Parts: sequence; C-alpha cells; structure tokens
Amino acid sequence: MTVNRRKKPASVNPMKIGQSLGAVLALQGCYRAMPLIHGSQGCSAFPKALLTRHFREPIAVQTSALQEMDVIFDANRNLEEALNLVLSKHRPDIIGIIGTELTDVAGVDYQNMLKTYKRERNMRGGLAFSVVLPDFRGSLESGFSSTVESMIDEMIQQVGHRGQRSVNTRQITLLPGSFLTPADVMELKEIISSFGFEVIVLPDISTSLSGHLLTGFSPLTRGGVPLDSMLQSLQSGLTIAVGGSMERPARRLHNAIGTPYKVFEGAMGLKATDELLHFLHQISGEPVPLRYCWQRENLLDSMLDAHFQFAGMSVVAALEPDHLHSVSGWLEELGVEQRALITSFETPLIAGMEREVWVGDLDDAEVLGKGADLWISNSHGIAGAQRTGAAFMPAGFPVWNELGAYMSVSAGYRGAMEWSNKAGNLLMQREAGSRESSVRHR
Amino acid sequence: MDPLRQDEFDSQACGSIAPKAKPCPRPKPGEAAGGCSFDGAQITLLPIMDAAHLVHGPIACAGNSWESRGTLSSGPSLSQYGFATDLTDSDIIFGGEKKLKDSIDYIAGRFAPPAIFVYSTCVTALIGEDMDAVCKEAADRLGIPVIPVNSPGFVGSKNLGNRLAGDALLQYVIGTGEPEPETDLGVNLIGEYNIAGEMWDIEKLMNSAGIAVTSRITGDARYKEITWAHRARVNMVVCSRALLGLAKEMESRYGIPYFEGSFYGAKETTYSLRQMAYLMNDREMERRVDRLTEREEARLSQELRPYRKLLRGKRAVLYTGGVKSWSVISALKELGVQVVGVGTNKSTEDDVRRIADRVGDDTEYIPEGGASRIIKTVRERKADIMIAGGRNMYVAMKEQIPFIDINQERHKAYAGYEGLLRLAKELTYSLANPIWKLAASPAPWDKEAPPYDR
Repeated sequence: MTVNRRKKPASVNPMKIGQSLGAVLALQGCYRAMPLIHGSQGCSAFPKALLTRHFREPIAVQTSALQEMDVIFDANRNLEEALNLVLSKHRPDIIGIIGTELTDVAGVDYQNMLKTYKRERNMRGGLAFSVVLPDFRGSLESGFSSTVESMIDEMIQQVGHRGQRSVNTRQITLLPGSFLTPADVMELKEIISSFGFEVIVLPDISTSLSGHLLTGFSPLTRGGVPLDSMLQSLQSGLTIAVGGSMERPARRLHNAIGTPYKVFEGAMGLKATDELLHFLHQISGEPVPLRYCWQRENLLDSMLDAHFQFAGMSVVAALEPDHLHSVSGWLEELGVEQRALITSFETPLIAGMEREVWVGDLDDAEVLGKGADLWISNSHGIAGAQRTGAAFMPAGFPVWNELGAYMSVSAGYRGAMEWSNKAGNLLMQREAGSRESSVRHR
Repeated sequence: MDPLRQDEFDSQACGSIAPKAKPCPRPKPGEAAGGCSFDGAQITLLPIMDAAHLVHGPIACAGNSWESRGTLSSGPSLSQYGFATDLTDSDIIFGGEKKLKDSIDYIAGRFAPPAIFVYSTCVTALIGEDMDAVCKEAADRLGIPVIPVNSPGFVGSKNLGNRLAGDALLQYVIGTGEPEPETDLGVNLIGEYNIAGEMWDIEKLMNSAGIAVTSRITGDARYKEITWAHRARVNMVVCSRALLGLAKEMESRYGIPYFEGSFYGAKETTYSLRQMAYLMNDREMERRVDRLTEREEARLSQELRPYRKLLRGKRAVLYTGGVKSWSVISALKELGVQVVGVGTNKSTEDDVRRIADRVGDDTEYIPEGGASRIIKTVRERKADIMIAGGRNMYVAMKEQIPFIDINQERHKAYAGYEGLLRLAKELTYSLANPIWKLAASPAPWDKEAPPYDR
C-alpha cells in the first residue's frame, strides 16, 4: 500500500467533486438524454454551472427540487411530478435519475418508485434508470462509471440476455473514462477505427461537448451516442475500457452477455499508446497506419527537444485517480521528479501504484508539493500554484481559466506530444519570468 | 422566533413589504432553475474577504461551488479558500459535531481569521446537528466569533438564503463592535457584492462627493467593519431586495434611515447619491453631490455619444432576477436601447410595477419557462441582443444571439457612470462582432448555386 492521508479534520480547498456531477457528465454523452437529480435545487444548479463553465456549452439537467417538507413527507411525489413534466414536455430517449446524499440520508426509495412508475405507465422504447450517488463516497470518476454501469444494466434488461445476440466481431464498444476530454474520445475513436473497426462509444461526449453549432437550443442533450447505437453496442465483439474506473462496466457487459473486454489503464504517453496500437494491430491483423508511425516519431523528437527543459524539474499533480495514474506514467517518461501525487479518493488502481500517492485536497498539494516547478491540477489550483511559485498547468475538471481546454488532447502519441510541449513551454516561460524579475529588482 | 424571521415568513420571503405580495412560488420539479438557499447564503457572506467560510456537510456542497462567484477582493483572500467538513458515511451515522468542532479549531489555529462562518447543508440539517451549540462553544473557547448560518439548501430559494444570511449578520455581527476613532461615518452599502469590482467604482464616486462608506455589506468587506454597521447614518439597499429586511430591522433597532437605490445607469446613480446626501441631512454635502453628478453626467454624455449613435433603436431582451430587471432597464434606456422583453420570474409586485414604469406597453413579460421561452421572445420580438445570466450564455451562443452577461459570474463592472460607459462599449462590441455574420453563412460547398456552369 502506498496510499497516505494527511491528518486534518477539515477539507481545505477540496479537489473532490460530487459523484452526481459525474453522472450528469456521463449522460451528456447520450443523445436526447435528461439527467434528473433527485435532491434540492442546488444539487443540480451547482453541477450545471460548473459543467457549463468548463465545457462552455449548455448542459442538460433537471431537478426534483426537494424542499424540507417534501423530504419529510414524500420526496418521490416530487420525482413523479418531475418525471411527468420532463416526459410530456421534452420526450427524452434516456432519463437517468440520480440520487444524492439528501435522498440517501432521508432513505428515499426511488429505485422501486421508478420501477412502479415504468410499469404503471407501460413505458417502453426509451431508457430510464436510477443510480445511487451520495456525495460522501467517491468523486466525479466513480459517479461517472457507476452511471455507465447502470445504463448498461438497463440496456441489457431491455434487450435480453445471452443467446439472443449475434456478435459483430468488427464492432468494438469503447468505454472512455471520465478524465478523457471530448477531443481525447475523438482521438481514441479515430485510432480504433483506423484499424477497420466500427466503434460505438458509451458515452460519447466527443459529439456533444466538443463545441458544435447544431442550430437551435434544446433542454435535452444535443449530440452524443443515440439510443439505437447504444443498444446495438450489445452486439460488439469486444469492449475496450480506458481508465481503471471503467473496468466494472466492462465486466458487467462480460458477465451478462459474454462480451470479452480489455482494459487500458490510460492512453497517455509513449508506452500506453504503444500498448493500445499493438493490441489493435494484433486483434485486427492490420498494420499500424502510417500516420501513427509518424506521430510516434514526432513524439519522440519533441521529447528529445524538450528534455533540456525538464531536466532537474519537479512536479506536483493533483487529479482524479485514473487521470493521476495516466499523468504519472507520462511524467515518468519525461524523467521529471514527481514531488507529490494527490488524488481525491482511493481506488484499486491507485492502491496498486508503485509510487506514493496521497488522498487529500489542494491544500495538501501545496504543502507536499512545496518547491515543485510545475503544478498540474484543475483551475482551483491556480492560487496554490502561485503561492508555491510553481508554473500552473490546468488539467482535469473543472478548467475555466483557459479557452478550449475541453478540446485539448492527451490521448495517443499526439496527445503526449501536446502535453509535453505545453508543460515545457510553461517551464520555459517561468524561467524567463524569474530572469526578468531578477533583472528588474537589481 | 425572532422578529426578522417572523417578517420573512409573513411576507413569504420574496422581499415585499406589502402584506398581500405574491408568495415565493414553489420550484417546479422538472422545470426548476437556479440555486438553493445554501447558495444564496454564500453569495451574501463570501464577500467578507478576511473571514473563513466553513461548509458543514458532504463534499459536493462546497466542492462543486467554491470559487464560482465573481466577487473580488482588494486584499485578504481567506474567503476564497474552500473549507468543508467533508462528511463520510460514518460521520452521518454517528454525527458530525466532533468533526465540526475539530475543523473550527483547526482553521482558527492555522489561519487565525477574525471570524468563522459555518454553513449548514441539507444533510446536516436533516440529521439534526446542533450547529448553533457547537459554534457557540467554539466561539467561547477560541475567543473569536464563530457564526452559524442556518440556511440549508432545501429550505427554499437563493433569495431566502440571502435573507437568512442577513439574519445571521443581524444576530451575530452587527452591533458587536465599535468603529475606530478616526473612522468617518456615513453610509452602509447593503446588498452590493463587488461583482467584477463594481464596489470600487461606487466607492470612488462616493468619496469624491465626500460621502464615507461605513460598512460594505458585503462586497470586499472586512469582518470588523460589519460589526460597527449600526453606527452608520444611512443605509442604502443596493439593488438587492433580499436584504431589505436587514435594513428595516436596522431602522427599528438603531434608527438608521434607509432607502433603496441602484447604480445602474446615470439617472439611478445620480438619484442614489442625492438620496444619500439628503438623508445625511447635510446641505454642504448635497451641494457637492450636485456639482459632482452634473460634472460626471456631462462628461459621460460626451463619451457616450459615439456609442449612442450605434445603439439607438436596438432591441434587447432582458432576463435577470428581481431588482436588476428594472434598474438595468434604466441604464439601457439611457443608451437608446429598447427593452422588448423582460423576465419577471424573480420579481416582486413592486419590481414589476417599477418595470412597468420604465418600459412601454410593447414589452413582453416573461414570467417563467426557462431558456426556450426567452429564445422565443427574442425571435418573436426581433431582438438584437440578449442580456441575462451566465447560465443562459451558451444557450444564446447556440442560437447565435449576441449576449451580455449581467449576473454574478460576469467579469465586467456596470455600476456608476463609468459602468454605464462600459456597458455601452460591451453592447457595441458584442453587436458588431464579425462572428455573427461568419457563423450564419454556410461553407462555400454548401451554397446552393454551383460556382461554375456545368
């Protein structure tokens, strides 16, 4: 075990994000979906505002708007009202009911209520599922993967189990982790399909949150994977999961309908991309496309160019578990010192890491990462990076101090190259900055 | 129940003095928008910049909301720290009071703040944590004010949260300190949160008329200055009826006269400054204000001239909460912009009356209905621009409607004479941006007629 915690009673400058936000994010990757948060108004208003700020896109989400008396008497009456309204007004293809800590502590049984609701109204043709996501467990990452798992469950129930399916071996289901940006998902989709596979992404934020000008506004999600493709994904010959957190949904598919799966812990950096491409090459029998051979050269060359910049440098990184694991692997390849690695909660992937990892907050990053040259975290870390004098590199969620962050690529050789250049540039600017100030103050 | 609470429930928390005011509507499940009371309380209190703000509850309430408001500080930044007790399963089963106590001690020991505000959340309210007792005990032990803010999200709207925060100030802060001897006493600014630095423009203006600010409640405030707010000579409720109850209570407790005013638009700004001087009962000050406002208005109208020419006859749809609706209408009218649609979802009857005073009959009222309803109005009324909160920004972008952000997340200050000029510039930039034409024209290969004869 290499997981540590600093002893302090309060969380100071939290990096942890509520699980329900992860659920809302997952549902943004499905076409004509509506996440419905079962909680008080703030439980949906905060995620909506935060996701809007990060992606710079309208975010579909609704709430059961619980108030004190509703919680005491019958919270599900609100949920029913919300369902009625959403169904009759917007006709979504997919509804995800997201339980919060409020409904959890109050002991509201919305799972059964949803079952009854569906039965009584003879609801067919769409997906409606619920997921229990109190905020005193996990973080964005676990909320995201649990939601995908529930979604898969519901799909399997609709279509039926093993035996009824014909397998399409040229079709792959991709389960991308919550740390991947829309551009990352797009990159992975391209890589896999360049080997001649059809790819169905679950959920696919690359077509919903990547910034498109589909004209007109809808309270439902625009873009994302449509319901019929989702159901068709049950015929895939293989599941590829990216990120340790996506193993459980992949295993669920395997256990229920027998789809084999392969988990890639990340897709960032030379080694991780090598692994992915090698695997795809082996299972398809196709050669690795020339463009990736080129990109591999480009990456190696840019790492050579940048290695002067990284010599003797140290980094503090505070990210969600899967993301931290990926970034740590990439940092390893750059040969920089990893002064401190901080994450929001413990996962098996984190526990299995060879390095020391701390579960904590951005204040811990400040204390443990003292003296680091580069600081990698979400935008909440700006002030801490300033106080410790590190160059600040925004990554993860939320990022609001940079345009186009949601379109930055970290996956594949191209992603590793972009990140290496970005980090190197930041260190270069920092060096120039300190030189300038020393001249000025002489 | 203390008198203020009583008043709140009587008037149904919507901020109207009239007894038969319409009640705050219950948020409609499946169609609700906007924040909760917890959000509202933080909006009001977070601008107290040197205090620590601790959220007692599971992580999401703090984790999803800290650093999300555009209130600026001229110095201390402790209020920008996110503090949370981050309750886990076992804390909820066995109670989180011990953790709360330890957290308060830890913050006091490490950061030595002048005060700690402790916010309850839905969960801690539901499991019946005795926050008041923990805070009181900690305050006695540590010798600094530890103030419970009982405004969990599920008690109601953001607006009610503002008021409950005002309640906490009345009960625990105002009247507990005395101003330093050299302090020049004057006006309290209530409900001005220094969004994008608006407070600084206002303060500069007041100072050049020789009017002192006693306490800022709470934009860019220091804890200490709020403790002596009861020594002010006038209260101005700036554009936020949520804290009207605070001003009323201060009038009855301390005999401080109050008035409601706004700094959006030159006319409103001039009126507010005059009102301050009048209530201070100082002839000399009134003359100074007259000279200042005359000079500023003359200068402004010079500087506005080129923008007015461009903006005249432009049509806007305005969708913003409560008071801002009518005060921003004044500002827009001065620029020659016609308001063809206005949101009244969070307005009281008084607000609606004020809106009606300022717009013609031709304006459409948008009572509720969210984004699609606003867009419909924009289309039907052929509006050129939409002015609303950040939540609707990307909705407008998708519809390719020019947009200006007017709510708490914005980055531009629009208060005072300087602010009106800035608003004029922003409107012009937004309307004149080449993107609108570019985005509306198709790619060359999508144009219907082939570029050559076949």
